[in-house]
Amino acid sequence: MSFPQNTGHAAPFPRLSILLHWVMAALIIVMLFVGLFMAHNSTVHYASLFTLHRTVGFLLLLLVIVRLINRFTNHTPPLPNDLPAPMKLAAHLSHILLYGFMLALPLVGWAMLSAGGYPITLWGGCHIPSLMGFHPHLWGELRCLHSLLAYGLILLILAHIGAALLHGIIRRDGIMGSMLGR
Amino acid sequence: MAHSPRKGSPARWAAVVLPPLCLGGLMAWTAGVFSPAAISPSHFMQRFQKAGALDRGFRRAHAKGMCATGWFDPTPEGRALSRSGIFKGEHLPVMGRFSLAPPLPYLPDNPAAARSLAMQIRSSTGDDWRMALVDAPLQVMRDIADAFAFFKTARLDPATNKPDPAAIRAYAAQRPWLKTAFEQAKSHKQASDLTNDTYNSLDSFILTDEAGKKTPVRWAAVAQEPFSPAEGSSANDKNYLFKRLVQTLDQRPLRWDIVATIAREGDPINDPSQPWDEADQKVTVGTVTFTKAYSEDESPCGPMVFDPTILPDGISTSDDPLLALRSSVYMKSYATRSAEHKTPSMVTPGDITHPTLTPDGKGQ
Repeated sequence: MSFPQNTGHAAPFPRLSILLHWVMAALIIVMLFVGLFMAHNSTVHYASLFTLHRTVGFLLLLLVIVRLINRFTNHTPPLPNDLPAPMKLAAHLSHILLYGFMLALPLVGWAMLSAGGYPITLWGGCHIPSLMGFHPHLWGELRCLHSLLAYGLILLILAHIGAALLHGIIRRDGIMGSMLGR
Repeated sequence: MAHSPRKGSPARWAAVVLPPLCLGGLMAWTAGVFSPAAISPSHFMQRFQKAGALDRGFRRAHAKGMCATGWFDPTPEGRALSRSGIFKGEHLPVMGRFSLAPPLPYLPDNPAAARSLAMQIRSSTGDDWRMALVDAPLQVMRDIADAFAFFKTARLDPATNKPDPAAIRAYAAQRPWLKTAFEQAKSHKQASDLTNDTYNSLDSFILTDEAGKKTPVRWAAVAQEPFSPAEGSSANDKNYLFKRLVQTLDQRPLRWDIVATIAREGDPINDPSQPWDEADQKVTVGTVTFTKAYSEDESPCGPMVFDPTILPDGISTSDDPLLALRSSVYMKSYATRSAEHKTPSMVTPGDITHPTLTPDGKGQ
């Protein structure tokens, strides 16, 4: 599918921001599918999926930290001036929420396994330390929160994709192109 | 949608709306929204519920239990088979949980119920070995589909408050591959006590030595106490098995040898319903000694999950499908019960401090 030419005036994002966005986008989508599948199907591949989920989850936590630092230190192109105020507000709020959920999900995952007394082994047998001691009740609560955050992130991502396409296809204001490097 | 001066055609709007809708649909499909017949950990929880599990903080299976602590001493033979830190020679703490296998947390002790022993052994360097052993000789299921059907047969008949014996007979009849497992279950002689019972891993695991050589094994906790057969349900006391275990621990430590049976060519590794060759080599890899009993309401073993796939380096899972299933279903049960308000366990702290048996007709 080819998108219409960028007719707007939004400047492109810096290269590093674009790279981080798409690498994380791909990993997050994979993580959400793996998580949903693990939680809702009884599968003989459970152990490998779980190891993949822990490993990519930890990688995403590192990436989101890099990304947050990048966000505050690197240049972010401003939204077009003719964008209505409610859409600007929605854009800012949804991005704050996206960052919050991207940070909270792996942290809650790490904390919940720690509280539950699960050893946290990554691909290749590498262990990461527990965030806390054995707190079974907290484990139960955090496990529930982990699912709720995942459902929240799914809704945010779907809205984010819809909004990007709205900018790219209907408004054609260059916002989508700014993350495609155009 | 906010009014836009550059409003698009319906085709353009479709290009905006359809991609997120499709992705959302695909995710819902992955979560089983459109295929409710698929087997999931939640479906297993429902089956346990119908088999008498309570949503009051108890395990959904192996619900009635008691804790014990002690230590593990490895043997040089264990060290030769696995490079795990567990076998390095150190004297390691053990937390164990003795239980009755059914999902009923208030089941009166009886000789008919299968019994289990779960353990966690930890080394000072962070190795964590969890075991969930049962006193059945073989698993009466070979895969996830069998397990799902099996737990359906455990449903309590509302009229009798017991599982329907015809259901388990039908389950066995439809599965000729479980013939040996059911025959061995039938001829299995139940031990008189928890103290002299032998508990089996049922599933197979892989031990890896320093050189990387892999050895497929099944293991068992074999009681050092002499075996004596169960003789009907003569005790009046609803906790007689657990109280007799406490009484014995008050007198002397109790030991179990951890015996690994080494697979030979042709022994099925991925099917816990099939027996291994009688002549297989058996190696004692260590000894567990229990010294002290606790009610599960005052020990971390009460809430703890004994997921048999939590293993140290040097011990790993085989491709046995039931190991994957146990891990996912245990996690679901563990998360659910941990968020619930727990009612007291049937084996109370009082039973631990005063393990006096209610006298039966014979004054015993």
